[in-house]
Amino acid sequence: MAEEQQKILVVDDERLNINVLVELLKPNYKMMAAKNGEQALKAVRVANPPDLILLDIMMPEMDGYEVCRQLKADEATRDIPVIFITAMGDTSDETKGLEVGAVDYITKPISPPIVQARVKTHLALKRNMTELQKAYKIIEAQKDRMENELNVAHEIQMSMVPQTFPPFPDRNEFSIHAALHPSREVGGDFYDFFFIDENRLCVCIGDVSGKGVPAALFMAVTRTLIKARAIDDISTASILTRVNDELSRDNKAYMFVTIWFAILDVRTGTLLYTNAGHNPPYIKQKNGDSKRMDNLHGPVIGAQPGLAYKEDSTHLAPQDILLMYTDGVTEARNREKEFFTEDQLVALLSSREYESMEELVQSTVAEVKRFEDGAEQFDDITVLAVQFSGQPGAAETQMLEMTLKNQLSELKQFKETFNAFAENNNFSKPVRREMNVVFDELLGNIINYAYTDELEHTIEVRVEFSGDRLTVTIEDDGIPFNPLEKDTPDTQLPLEERKIGGLGIHLVRNLMDKVSYQRRITKNRLTLVKNINK
Amino acid sequence: MNITTRDVNEVKIVAVEGELDLNASQEADKQLTQLREDGVKKMLIDLAKLEFISSAGLRVLLATAQEIKAAGGDLRVCNLNATVKEVFDISGFSTLLMCFDNEAKAMSGF
Repeated sequence: MAEEQQKILVVDDERLNINVLVELLKPNYKMMAAKNGEQALKAVRVANPPDLILLDIMMPEMDGYEVCRQLKADEATRDIPVIFITAMGDTSDETKGLEVGAVDYITKPISPPIVQARVKTHLALKRNMTELQKAYKIIEAQKDRMENELNVAHEIQMSMVPQTFPPFPDRNEFSIHAALHPSREVGGDFYDFFFIDENRLCVCIGDVSGKGVPAALFMAVTRTLIKARAIDDISTASILTRVNDELSRDNKAYMFVTIWFAILDVRTGTLLYTNAGHNPPYIKQKNGDSKRMDNLHGPVIGAQPGLAYKEDSTHLAPQDILLMYTDGVTEARNREKEFFTEDQLVALLSSREYESMEELVQSTVAEVKRFEDGAEQFDDITVLAVQFSGQPGAAETQMLEMTLKNQLSELKQFKETFNAFAENNNFSKPVRREMNVVFDELLGNIINYAYTDELEHTIEVRVEFSGDRLTVTIEDDGIPFNPLEKDTPDTQLPLEERKIGGLGIHLVRNLMDKVSYQRRITKNRLTLVKNINK
Repeated sequence: MNITTRDVNEVKIVAVEGELDLNASQEADKQLTQLREDGVKKMLIDLAKLEFISSAGLRVLLATAQEIKAAGGDLRVCNLNATVKEVFDISGFSTLLMCFDNEAKAMSGF
């Protein structure tokens, strides 16, 4: 398509001069004319203003300089190039002309080729300028759209993390605070905490690879999966194993997430945790020492299905503080490109007493920002701190630990020991009997079927009783066997058609409130929980 | 685990005392099989003094019940305590075997 013809306005009080220029230029341009300054100013204030103005200087009432000044003072006409065409040929006249904003100054008598050349040049310049301005507007719009998208990602991220503190005002067994300072582009950090039952608090911190909306969405899915799986599972290893399988299944974008996940029993301080590729948290003890929680229980989550994550457990003593963070903290950089590092974080943690977890979290963030000192923040900065109060009167834990050999006679012995424990702790008869059935099923199964050699093996059983909960852990080094994978027997079949397989574990699952299985390298571990209401 | 028997009319009342678990099931099976082979066709298993039963014990009861039924006989159970009843319910044995609250109810209709 041919470009639209450009328009030129000629301003001169002499008709003759106007004609000369119009004749010269009209083959290539659309021409307009004005006889004086007033007319000229009217002529430019139209929907389609001229692209160039040829302006005489010596005119009655308003001279060219004044016209030019007014044109340049008005935003609507400021950008129209003005060329003075005048008989006034002194250098001072020319200087003045250029000073009031003209782009060129041609003296009369004119040389037609010169006029044509200069007009052509300046119009081309004007055209380029217009194009540039259009392009700039498009870039502005794109930038706005991108800002919008960043806002969306930001919204997703912030809606996924609890931000009300204190979150559980009626619970005095612990205090918790967290902060997430996002980088300009959402960096995929998240944290979460929630109760899965009366006394067990899940805390979680993580970092999704990637940035922007994809990272924010992946983070939302991860967080939702964790929460869903934690409801009916009491083993952090088991929870993350399942979350990993689900996340890595449809992970076409090859994203992954580092997670540190723990379940804290707020009555006893027992902390069960799994670290999937995340920065090791610290525990600050009452005496001021900070302990680094080094153990790693598996790689990042979402990369590869079929992995079995592990877990460890430890104890928080009263006043212990658990501090979790993401690499946005330790890898924050200052202007000299130095890293904040774990050392500084530990120093900050140990350096003084903190009145509250809010103070600790905010001090940490402030310190990182102070360190950055205006350098760009490339990653989200996230800090989560939990202090265990060890409220006095928290239920004591009664424990029974026993190792038995893989013989039925040992099973008998164990039951007697357990019954004594049950008696001491005032378990009701039904509870004691039910537990006997459970032990009979599980331990009997192990003794009979877990070993393919004729050697002696040991089975470790631990029974913990606290408040109104009984937790049993059974660990054996037999062949890998997950009893929970057996199908539930069909208890509706008539006598002749009933088979016995799977009945034992069916009973166990119904007599206990929670059962979970975990394979720990060479051992099978079953964890069972029963709530005993007095 | 201890098994004692007595006769009322044509019914052999078999009282199982103690625990019918993995350790005890083998002995229980032996004794119940013996009773069958002796020709007992009507058997009432009295669980009044049974603390609890596990799947091993259920297996023994099931086998005994199946054999007796196959031979044209009848096996019933009575006096289950709460835990035993719970296990019977979970495993579906409450519907598999004829269970009665007490001996009198079990005996009528035998």
